[in-house]
Amino acid sequence: MNSLVRNAGPLWDEATRSPFLDALATGRLAADAFRRWLAQDCLFANDLMAFQAILLAKAPRDWHKPLLGGLAALDQELDWFESSAARLQVDLDILPHPTCRRYTDFLMRCAYTQPCGVLLAILFGVEASYHAAWSALAPSGPYAEFIKRWSNPDFGAYTTTLGGLAERNLQEAAQEHFNEVLAHERDFWKMAWEG
Amino acid sequence: MLHEVLWTSNFDLARSCLAHPFVVALGDGTLKPDLFHAFIAQDAFFLRAFLKAHALALARSEDRDTSEVFCGLITGVTEELKLHRVYAAELGIDLSSVVPNAACRAYTDFLLRTAWHNDLGETVASMTPCMRLYAYLGVALAPQCSPSHPYRRWIETYGGREFGRLADQVETLLDQVGADTKEVRDRYRYALQCELDFFSGALTS
Repeated sequence: MNSLVRNAGPLWDEATRSPFLDALATGRLAADAFRRWLAQDCLFANDLMAFQAILLAKAPRDWHKPLLGGLAALDQELDWFESSAARLQVDLDILPHPTCRRYTDFLMRCAYTQPCGVLLAILFGVEASYHAAWSALAPSGPYAEFIKRWSNPDFGAYTTTLGGLAERNLQEAAQEHFNEVLAHERDFWKMAWEG
Repeated sequence: MLHEVLWTSNFDLARSCLAHPFVVALGDGTLKPDLFHAFIAQDAFFLRAFLKAHALALARSEDRDTSEVFCGLITGVTEELKLHRVYAAELGIDLSSVVPNAACRAYTDFLLRTAWHNDLGETVASMTPCMRLYAYLGVALAPQCSPSHPYRRWIETYGGREFGRLADQVETLLDQVGADTKEVRDRYRYALQCELDFFSGALTS
């Protein structure tokens, strides 16, 4: 197990399990809750794009390929978010929920002020916890398309690569920031569930 | 004027701050000293981020007049931080090891994100509410301020002419560099919401 994950303790489970996901997997999730989550996650992904771009700009040469791959995947994900939102008639021209905003403000503040080893630990936290959360669900029911998308092996391999790089480039503040990501993930799922 | 439109249209939040139990207790002098100490420590953490946001805005300024105003404002924030250091020394607070509470962290992350990543108008829009609100609170609380009031120095600082002049300056700057856009309105209102949450955080920490 990756040392950042191991040292996060119970925060890892808190960030990767939620009543929202349980209800989604069993097909009992209210349509409103799903639409709310979709819109906020799309806003989040927009800022994550900026975060990853800044990290790429600071990164040494041997990090470029996985980071570029991640950016290209995120670009496709944004296309997919936008088309899903159009199909489900979800308005994306909205303000971020305070919980979403606290998360993205944290990411952007760090992007400009933290060294790239810390930023890599942050990105690993964002991606690995998301992958773990979706991978725990059986890919069936009305949201099977979403579950398959974020539990697929390519995404898993990408998070493993990021985790390996992050472990080889650990900086003092990495664990603290990794844990902060997990707290934001936990709060984001809570917001999706409770509104 | 943009600053008037923003202050007036968001006055509900300013009024909520004035009516907040923390501010009410600060005004009538019944606020428990340990809550005031914790508030000063959090505020010192905030002010360091506020100072950085000013410095980043100064770096973005294209003309000399704007740069000079930012220099003046930076001096004002530095003076405010000095006041906090005096408080801290008197009250035995260690300002170097302050751990921000959730409200303080959210506010400073917002300010720094805006100052690093967004344009000058949005940055000034995110900085203005703090100045105007504290001037407003200081003036509103001043009538309750007797010579023996435990928080007299705090009220006199923010209700004083000098602080009011700094708030005027930052508002003039907002009129000059800001435009009436969705983003500017959003930053201004969110900053005021952060102020309100900051008082709630101070009551629970």
